[in-house]
This record gives sequence, structure tokens and C-alpha cells, in this order.
Amino acid sequence: MITVRLSFIRQCVALLLLLLICSWVSLFSWSVIPITPTDAIQALYNMNEESIAQHIVHDLRLPRVLIGLMVGANLAAAGVIMQGLTQNPLASPSVLGINAGAALGMATVSSLAPWFGLLGTSVAAMIGGGIAWALVMLLGNAWRGGNEHGRLVLAGVAISALCAALTKAVIIIAEDQAAGVLTWLAGSLTDARWQTFDAFWPVCILGLVGAMLIAPTLNLLQLGDDNARNLGVSLIWVKLGGSFLVLLLVGSAISSVGAIGFVGLLVPHMARMLVGQDHRQFLPIAMMLGAGLVVLSDTVSRAIIYPAETPAGAILALIGAPFFIYLVRKRTL
Amino acid sequence: MAIRSLPILLFILLGLLVANLMFGAVSIPFDGILKGFQVGDANYFTVHEYRFPRTILAMLVGAMMALAGALVQGVIRNPLASPDVLGVSHGAGLAAVFYMTFFPNADIIWLPAVALMGSLIAALMLWWLCGQHSSTIKLAITGVALAALYASCIDFLMLVKPLEINNALLWLTGSLWGRGWHQLSMLLPWLLLVPCALWLAKPLNLIHLGDDSAMSLGIKANKLRLSSLAIAVGLTASCVAICGPIGFLGLVAPHLTRKLVGGRHQILLPSTMLVGAILLLLADLVARTIDPPIELPAGIMTAIIGAPYFLWLLFRTK
Repeated sequence: MITVRLSFIRQCVALLLLLLICSWVSLFSWSVIPITPTDAIQALYNMNEESIAQHIVHDLRLPRVLIGLMVGANLAAAGVIMQGLTQNPLASPSVLGINAGAALGMATVSSLAPWFGLLGTSVAAMIGGGIAWALVMLLGNAWRGGNEHGRLVLAGVAISALCAALTKAVIIIAEDQAAGVLTWLAGSLTDARWQTFDAFWPVCILGLVGAMLIAPTLNLLQLGDDNARNLGVSLIWVKLGGSFLVLLLVGSAISSVGAIGFVGLLVPHMARMLVGQDHRQFLPIAMMLGAGLVVLSDTVSRAIIYPAETPAGAILALIGAPFFIYLVRKRTL
Repeated sequence: MAIRSLPILLFILLGLLVANLMFGAVSIPFDGILKGFQVGDANYFTVHEYRFPRTILAMLVGAMMALAGALVQGVIRNPLASPDVLGVSHGAGLAAVFYMTFFPNADIIWLPAVALMGSLIAALMLWWLCGQHSSTIKLAITGVALAALYASCIDFLMLVKPLEINNALLWLTGSLWGRGWHQLSMLLPWLLLVPCALWLAKPLNLIHLGDDSAMSLGIKANKLRLSSLAIAVGLTASCVAICGPIGFLGLVAPHLTRKLVGGRHQILLPSTMLVGAILLLLADLVARTIDPPIELPAGIMTAIIGAPYFLWLLFRTK
């Protein structure tokens, strides 16, 4: 037992170091106005008011990196919880329609009632994602358990297609809002500012702590529904509580930076490969991996067609889709 | 019963044809339409240059996509299969966008051929990943995942090369916007595939008896499957090259038709074409008249109708 803990702590420390390096690189790389690596460090604790580069780091790059870290951690935790609840290796916010539902909720509110502000759109994202998730679970026979994996995924895909079509319709009809929403639909950290950060971090902490609290119960769910029930788990409450957590994590992430997909699908599998099946260990690892993945994608998204930017979501989709196909091939559905 | 529904379908189709010519951003009264075909009439441009070719194109594309869907479902015997669910449509779309992005000055007449290459590669890719005997659900999931991959490649190309974005945007959501005589003439040679498909109707009935029975009746089952799928891929590619991937049409139309006229391919295939034409004309009519002068892509309307239908099919699939 003690050796496991030691190796786990080692892995955590190594990942944290990697995260720090990724974040640091992201602070100064690929900027139109040159920023030196030392600028990036100096801007954090002893800002030189004269330097434009340090202002860019402090006002634009730093919130961007922090929001990227939080979004990644959120989506990865949501993916872990969803895979735990459904016992389906393909479950994730983007595959099961939560992303598309949340996007529809947001697009509807931001074009019909733009005066709602950030809080209103976040709540709309949660409600939209919740409706989509409930529909997918009902239509995919998810409550019956058993081997309905493929059905659940196809239900998610169809709901996603429906929500995406409705979202585009809403955007086209409410034309004056369209330009921002289109970039936002792809999922991009370009517009991440301190204002977004201030609204986002409390929800993020709440969601991640909640995820850690539910982790031991997710371990019991792996034994199958009946065994979990015999061990005193109240399935209804776990599934409802878990679903609410997922919506909180995904809704807040999506309303901050848009519909970034595939983090919730990729990362839990990577984390399992590293530390195995114990949720108490692989949930924190997954959060760190997710955070790193999003910051890395964001850095790459600035590099590809420098000086212009591509949305980070588009890059993640390019990596994620082949991986999804690989997972489908590997399992017997 | 089956034969009796044909005239009703034809009647609905004619009604929609007239409605598509009458309604839009500007309404034209019924008697104004015939006058609109005469040069010099006030409505000449609207009717002859804009609405008429677009309406005919919608009718043909709807019919061809539905026919492709019926062929695929007839061969694979999978209720969830259709060119768009299996990723063939998006494969064609990706090839078309790729061609327009990297050869912006090339002749647009080659677009259907390029799309055909793309959809063939997509079909081979699916076959390579799934093999011959995979379950209904697994085939559909792999197809959907491939379609998502192609769609994300399309998005990526458009984001990386924003200069050509307007050109490609017309292709993306499946739209008939701005399509006219030129696109109609591009589609015409591909109509040759329709009689080829109808010619396969009778043997298609027989392979449902099982390969051995079909064999004893002198039908080579595998050859028939290949040629049916090749025709379906060709139909899909030519439609996608002109209107973009219009989702769910090839899935829904054959199912609806089977409910109306049953499974005999001699009746099923022509009726499916009628139903497909009706669906796309209806989708385009709604898309043009819901909030004029703004126009929604027809592909959005077909998804709003088609996705719930797909869910219902999924619900019933054992």
C-alpha cells in the first residue's frame, strides 16, 4: 500500500511540474509582440509598469492560461464521472450531447435575451446540457444498465446533431450576434479575460471538490449496480448527484470558453493507463492531464497559422475523433 | 394499396413545386408564375433565373439522396444505415472543401469527380474498419465517428484558410442557396445512375431470400452488393458536390416509403425518389419562408426533422 502511495505522489509531482512548464511556455510563446521568458516570470510577482510585454502577460496571457487549466480540469473530471456513472468507456460530455445542448441553451439566451449577462448564459448552458443529457439517458436505455453502450452513444450523436442544427438556426435568425458565437461554437480561449476568470473559479473549485467527494462511490459502481446497492449505495442519488456535478462542471466550462470537445473522452483513458482503476487516484491525475492538454492545445492553436489563431477546440477534435474510432474498434459493442 | 399511394405522392410533389415557385422573400401569385417564364416580365428574373432552377435542383437532389439511402439499406439490411450516417457524405464534402481550399482557381466542373473520390475513400475506410460482419450499432457508430472526423477536418481547413471560407461555407450545412442553372447542368450527367439503380430493383428483392437462394436464381450476390453500393456512392457524391452534405434525408426517406408501399424494390425505389424530392422541397420551402429575407440552410431543416426520427429508429432497433 505504502509503495503505491509513494509512486502516486511521485506521479502527481511530475505532472504538476509538467503543468507549470506548459503554463510558463504558454505565457510567452507565439506572441506578435515579443515576450521573453523572464518577462513571463517577472509579470507575475514584480511587474514593471513600463514594459508592454509584461502588460500583455498579465492582462491577456495569464487569465488565458488559468482559464485553460480550469476548463481542462473541469472537462476531464466530468468525463470521469460520466464514464463512472454509465460504465461506458465512450461516455463524455461531447459524445453524449451535453456540449451541444449547452451550446444551444447559450446561443438561445444570448441571442434572444442578451441582457442576461454571464450568469444567465451559464445557467442556460446548464439547463440546455441537462435537457440533452436527460433525453440521451432516456432514449439510450441507460437506466436499465447492461450492454447498451452503442445505443447510448448513437442517441448522444443524434441529440448532438439536432441541437447543432437548432443552434445554427438560432444564430442565423439572430444575425447580429452571429460572428462571436461562431468562433465560440468551435471552442476558443482567445477571449478569456480576468472578468471570466472571476466568475468561473468559485464554480470550478466547487465542482472539482464535489468530484473528489463522489470518487469513492464511483469505485463501488464499478462492481455493477446490484453489488453497489448491496454495499449501501443509493443508486438514484448517486446518479442524480453525479449528473448535477457533470452539468455544473461542463456548463461553467462551456459558458467560459465555448464547446471544447473530446477532453472528457481522451483524458480518463490516459489517466487509467497511468494509475489504474481507483477513482481516488485517477480522478486527480485526470484533472491535471486535462488541464495540461487544454493549455497545450491552446499554445499549439496559436502556433499553427501564426500570427492568426485557430480555435483550440478544432485541434482537440482532430486528435479526439481518431481516438474515438480506436476505442469503438477495441470494444465489442 | 402500394400503387394507389403513387398518384397521391405525385400530387403532393406538384403542389410543392408550385409552392416553391410562388413563395419566398417575395410572393408571386399563381397566375404570375407562367408569365414569369416569358422574357421581359417583371417576375422573369425571380422565377426563371432563381426559383425554377433551384426548385428542380432540390427535387433531383432529394430524389437522388433518397435513392442512395434506399440502395444502402437494401444491401446492408441495417435500418440505421444511410450515406450520411456512414460518413460517405462528409467524406465527399471533405474532398470538395480540400479541392476548393488548395486549388481555388481550378474549374468547378471537376468538383463532383473530386467528391466521388472522397466518398469512395470514405466507403473503403468504413469497410476496412468494420469488415463484413459487424453489428447494426457498431457499423453506425463507426460511420458516425468517421463523419465527425471528416467534419472536424472540414472545420479545421476552413479555419486555417479563412480566405476561401465563403466558397466553402456554401458547401457545409447542405444548402441550396445561390444554386442555379449552372449547378443543374453539372448534376445532369449523374442522372444516368438513376436508371442503373432501378435496373437493380428485381435482383435486390431476391438477395433478401438469402445468398444461396439468390445464387440458385442466377444472381451473384456479392457483385450485386458492390454495384449497388457503388451507385449509391456516386449518387451521394454528385449531390454533395452541389449542395453539401444534407443530413438524414437518405436515412428517413426510405423508411417512410417502406411504411407506405412495402419492401418490393420495383415500387420502393421510384416511390423513395418521390418522397425524397418531397422532403427536400419542403425543407427548402420552410428554410426560405420561415424568416425572410434571411434564409436557413435546408440541411438544418432536414436535421431537425431527421434526428428525432433517427432516435425513434434507434429506440426500436433490437
